[in-house]
Amino acid sequence: MRWCLALLVCCFLAAVNALSSSGSRLLAVLEDTEQKSVYSTLWADLEARGYDVSIESPKSEQLSLFKHGERAYDHLLILPPKSKGLGPSLTPKHILDFMNKDGNILLALSGKSPTSSAVSSLLLELDIHLANDRSAVVVDHFNYDTLSAAEKHDVLVLQRPGPLRPDVKAFFDGEGVLALPRVAPQTLGSDSTLLAPVLKAPATAYSYNPKEEMPAADDILATGSQLNIVSAMQARNSARFTVLGSVEALEDKWFSASVKTPSGEKTTTVNREFAKQLTGWAFKETGVLKVNKVEHHLATEGAELNPSIYRIKNETVYNIEVSEYVFDKWVPFEVPGEDELQLEFTMLSPFHRLNLEPTSRTETGTVFSTKFITPDQHGIFSFRVNYKRPFFTNIEEKHEVTVRHFAHDEYPRSWAISGGWVWIAGLWSVIGGFLAFVVVWLYSAPVADKVKKTQ
Amino acid sequence: MPTKRHAASTTSATPSTPTTPTPKPLSSGPATLKTNASAAEIAQHVWQQYATTTPQRTLLLDAFMAFLVLVGGLQFLYCVLAGNYPFNAFLSGFSAAVGQFVLTASLRMQTSDSGATSKPSSKGKNARFADEQGEEQRTGYSHERAFADYIFGSLILHFFCINFIN
Repeated sequence: MRWCLALLVCCFLAAVNALSSSGSRLLAVLEDTEQKSVYSTLWADLEARGYDVSIESPKSEQLSLFKHGERAYDHLLILPPKSKGLGPSLTPKHILDFMNKDGNILLALSGKSPTSSAVSSLLLELDIHLANDRSAVVVDHFNYDTLSAAEKHDVLVLQRPGPLRPDVKAFFDGEGVLALPRVAPQTLGSDSTLLAPVLKAPATAYSYNPKEEMPAADDILATGSQLNIVSAMQARNSARFTVLGSVEALEDKWFSASVKTPSGEKTTTVNREFAKQLTGWAFKETGVLKVNKVEHHLATEGAELNPSIYRIKNETVYNIEVSEYVFDKWVPFEVPGEDELQLEFTMLSPFHRLNLEPTSRTETGTVFSTKFITPDQHGIFSFRVNYKRPFFTNIEEKHEVTVRHFAHDEYPRSWAISGGWVWIAGLWSVIGGFLAFVVVWLYSAPVADKVKKTQ
Repeated sequence: MPTKRHAASTTSATPSTPTTPTPKPLSSGPATLKTNASAAEIAQHVWQQYATTTPQRTLLLDAFMAFLVLVGGLQFLYCVLAGNYPFNAFLSGFSAAVGQFVLTASLRMQTSDSGATSKPSSKGKNARFADEQGEEQRTGYSHERAFADYIFGSLILHFFCINFIN
């Protein structure tokens, strides 16, 4: 019992120390353990950010992504193997199971050696496609490094990517250039909303197999910015899968190498900074959203908080507090430029879809709120916030409430409605006329009667 | 054709009720109306006939019914022109007028039967009624009973309408 408690405390401590929002256990899969020193700055940076890095060979016997049916690691970094596959414990199925259990994966590829078929079929499951011969590299005759690839033009020198769209937050932008040696290009399936390109090849780039003499024109699958150097996939459970085309970009020697483009001058690369941004995003240190609290109530003073029942045509206020995780802390979430956080008041289909405006801000969250009048329709409604954007984890909040119709004594009285005054006057004139008639009738009665009686 | 029959019936009726003051102008009625009278003259004649031969209570009833028609018509016209919101107020106000009209019409039917004796022109069988007036009084309801029913029905109607208009 006591050790159990101790373990629990240890777990809590681990969780507190972890800088990623979803755990600190990182498994790096590296085929040749001697190559570990090539990426020493990367390991040091990851450990400095609080990761618990364990480096394993895919051939290792005891390597397993799961333990007792639970994830043994929180994050997985796969460096490209030279052999055909990733071994029996890292089959595509295992890796997808790992994602289904909210594990994050960063997969690096390399154009130096052909990509293994296991990796290729794994990517195919996610609708990310590699070149047909699997040993193509991206070549660009305009944006290459003249110092290291004067002949082959296969070390791309690119600016860091800006925002994907005006309404998407840029997680990977900044000053400086990246050196990306020998990139294995990917193309993304067009009908998946879960995929997003992080870094696209420039328009002048193309994919080329250095082992072949001449690329056949009809073999070309994609060129220019259709090729992706870095792409990201975020599953419906917000687990992240990132593909980096060039593993060499993570090597120590490219972290601060001097590069020179044909047109530019000599500069130092910012690969180290980009590696931080990329691993930070891939392992959920950035772009993680959290709903702290949801409140809804009537717009009147002192109304009950989060009631389970509303009436039609009630004025209602809805508040939602959202935080964003940025590397080591929760900060107030700000909706990117042209985007809106929206509330839906829905019964089967939305009756209202309203923009939520930021109204106040706490230390860790922004309170977004809106005020609306419940529709003239009774039934079971729900307040829904369904915010799914590239690079942000999904927000899906659903709170069910009953909307009842007017009680019999809640309708406005007729005299409160000026349109009804004519009919009220009509009714009372009928009653008044009746009373006058009765009085006149009674007074007029005896005369006629007497005449009749006498007769 | 109607005028002729009217004239015939009046002549047969006049001897039966010679003492009543009302038939007097009636007997002079056919004299003023010529056989080839114009429509306006006929209308004026009918109106005069009505005004002179109808008992005062029946006149009162008719005036009240005309008032109800006017009130109900105005309410309906307002509903058509200005819309039916609040609908319950319209239903209540309009049905009060209609219901009151129906009740008043019932009262008229029950109380103006005796008037038929003094208004012989209504049916051909007036002679029999004139002879057996007492019997007619016994078989139908008395005026007091009819009037009490009318008051009772009206009060129920008003109670419902006031409640319904909210």
